[in-house]
Amino acid sequence: MTDRARPPIHPVAWIAWVSAASLTSLSTTDPVYLLLLWATAWFVYQAQRIPGPMARSFRMFFAAGVITVVLRTALVLFTPVGSRDVLFALLEGLRLGTLLVLFGTFNAVTDPFGLVRLAPKHFHEPALATALALSITPRTVASVGKVREAQRLRGLSTGGLRSLPALVVPVLERGIEEAGTLAESMDARGHGRGPRTRYRPERWSTASLAVVGAAAVGAAAFVATAVTARVPLHPATDPLALSSPDPLLLGAIALLALPGLMPGGADR
Amino acid sequence: MRRGLVAAALIIGTALGGVSAPAVLGDAPACAAATGPHAGLVVVTSGGTSTFCVVLDATEVSGLHLIELAHDQDGLSYSFGFGGQAVCQLDGVGPSGGDCFADYPDFWGYWHGDGSGGWTWASTGAGSARIGDGDLDGWVWGTGDTPATHDAPPTLGIDDVCTPSPSPDPSSKPPASHHRSGGGPAPTSSSAAPSPSSVSSTTDPTASPSAHRDPHPSRSTHPTPTPSGSRSASASSQSMVLVAGAVTTPPSSGGPPVGLLLAGVLGVALVAGALLRRRSHAASNAGPGP
Repeated sequence: MTDRARPPIHPVAWIAWVSAASLTSLSTTDPVYLLLLWATAWFVYQAQRIPGPMARSFRMFFAAGVITVVLRTALVLFTPVGSRDVLFALLEGLRLGTLLVLFGTFNAVTDPFGLVRLAPKHFHEPALATALALSITPRTVASVGKVREAQRLRGLSTGGLRSLPALVVPVLERGIEEAGTLAESMDARGHGRGPRTRYRPERWSTASLAVVGAAAVGAAAFVATAVTARVPLHPATDPLALSSPDPLLLGAIALLALPGLMPGGADR
Repeated sequence: MRRGLVAAALIIGTALGGVSAPAVLGDAPACAAATGPHAGLVVVTSGGTSTFCVVLDATEVSGLHLIELAHDQDGLSYSFGFGGQAVCQLDGVGPSGGDCFADYPDFWGYWHGDGSGGWTWASTGAGSARIGDGDLDGWVWGTGDTPATHDAPPTLGIDDVCTPSPSPDPSSKPPASHHRSGGGPAPTSSSAAPSPSSVSSTTDPTASPSAHRDPHPSRSTHPTPTPSGSRSASASSQSMVLVAGAVTTPPSSGGPPVGLLLAGVLGVALVAGALLRRRSHAASNAGPGP
């Protein structure tokens, strides 16, 4: 079932993809493009996700994106505003949410420790720290599941809002304990000491190059449109006037969705 | 591992900052009790031209603050929109409310005067423009999205606006002159124009500029926005770019629904693709595993 002859998409290609997609979403507040980017992120995630705990992090980032939209809209209500300012804040929040969702996809399709292997020598420790930080999300989710199960076995109620405080301490405790264990085991294996070896290097496949190329073209289209103001990228908010989406920019978003058409990322 | 936690905290903090920072916009120039520096403000409507000699409260102020000072000193009425970063209404002309393009194709065109009668279409928003001693700002209400099609203020130098007497006439009305050309297509705006703008000093046949011009030594050091520079990338803050971009493009009316149709097709394709892939994941998990 898994085609081991075809290498997966190179992690650096994924970095290029997520950078290009983020640049694209930063250049516009048009909800049509942004929602299409959300759909693209979901599509690429479903196609390329690595089975395992990391895949769960997409849902968390998706939820974080939705929360961002809500928060950003709510925050502006503290200032004396009208409906147009609320709409403006909603669009800005949508843009920030897009960034989060794209990052969720990136998190779910790459192995962060694979990325650490690729980091240049002097960036090894910060890259490692980042990879560990990124892996906190799925590990926390797994912790929550285990703690809930233990509580249920002890006959404690696990539903409703009142059970949340009883959840926090065990999860934190597990997190810190796991962190300590991880640090000890890495230290015992001599991590960070001595020369690094190049073992099983990632190969650049045609698919990776195609992903990088398509993402670059897509982002360039949006940036060029933003600079030349050829087509409105920011809708007016009083009243909300959405302009017709530009076919060229829609093509650019389709290019960003190219990784979703590639054979899946289950080759790990 | 501690470093990992610090890294995670930094990421979360930056994200929260990114969420809340745009809600806390602000432009706060230092307010010194200086009576020296003054700048000129020219407001052109169909009713005429108003000029204001504004005493600056700092060495440099933003274009928006210049308008506020003109309000404080000379009673110019104004209204800002788009989160207080764009000029919607001046002297009672213009849309009230937050959308400065509500009266599109009419909007406030933003010009910078070179002091001797020429005017340059502003390439950055009023919030990020720096007005110093002896500078001249012009706002023209009209149609035209480019400096070629939008009216420029009449040929006025800084000395026409700020006469040597201590209390200049705030509402002097030299003969109004506008040659209204047809409105052009979409994008550049009154308070922000990331698109490159060309120099256009329109010569006004009726008003004649004053012969003498006081060289202000501070002017050479003042960074007037150059027409060829695209300052959008180096705009003051992320939020300014957001608002500047928002004001840039007035709503385009009409246009075939082809774009919307294509967008719908693309959206449906993406969602369907995602659902299909999800189902194939589930199927492959149920079948003989790897």
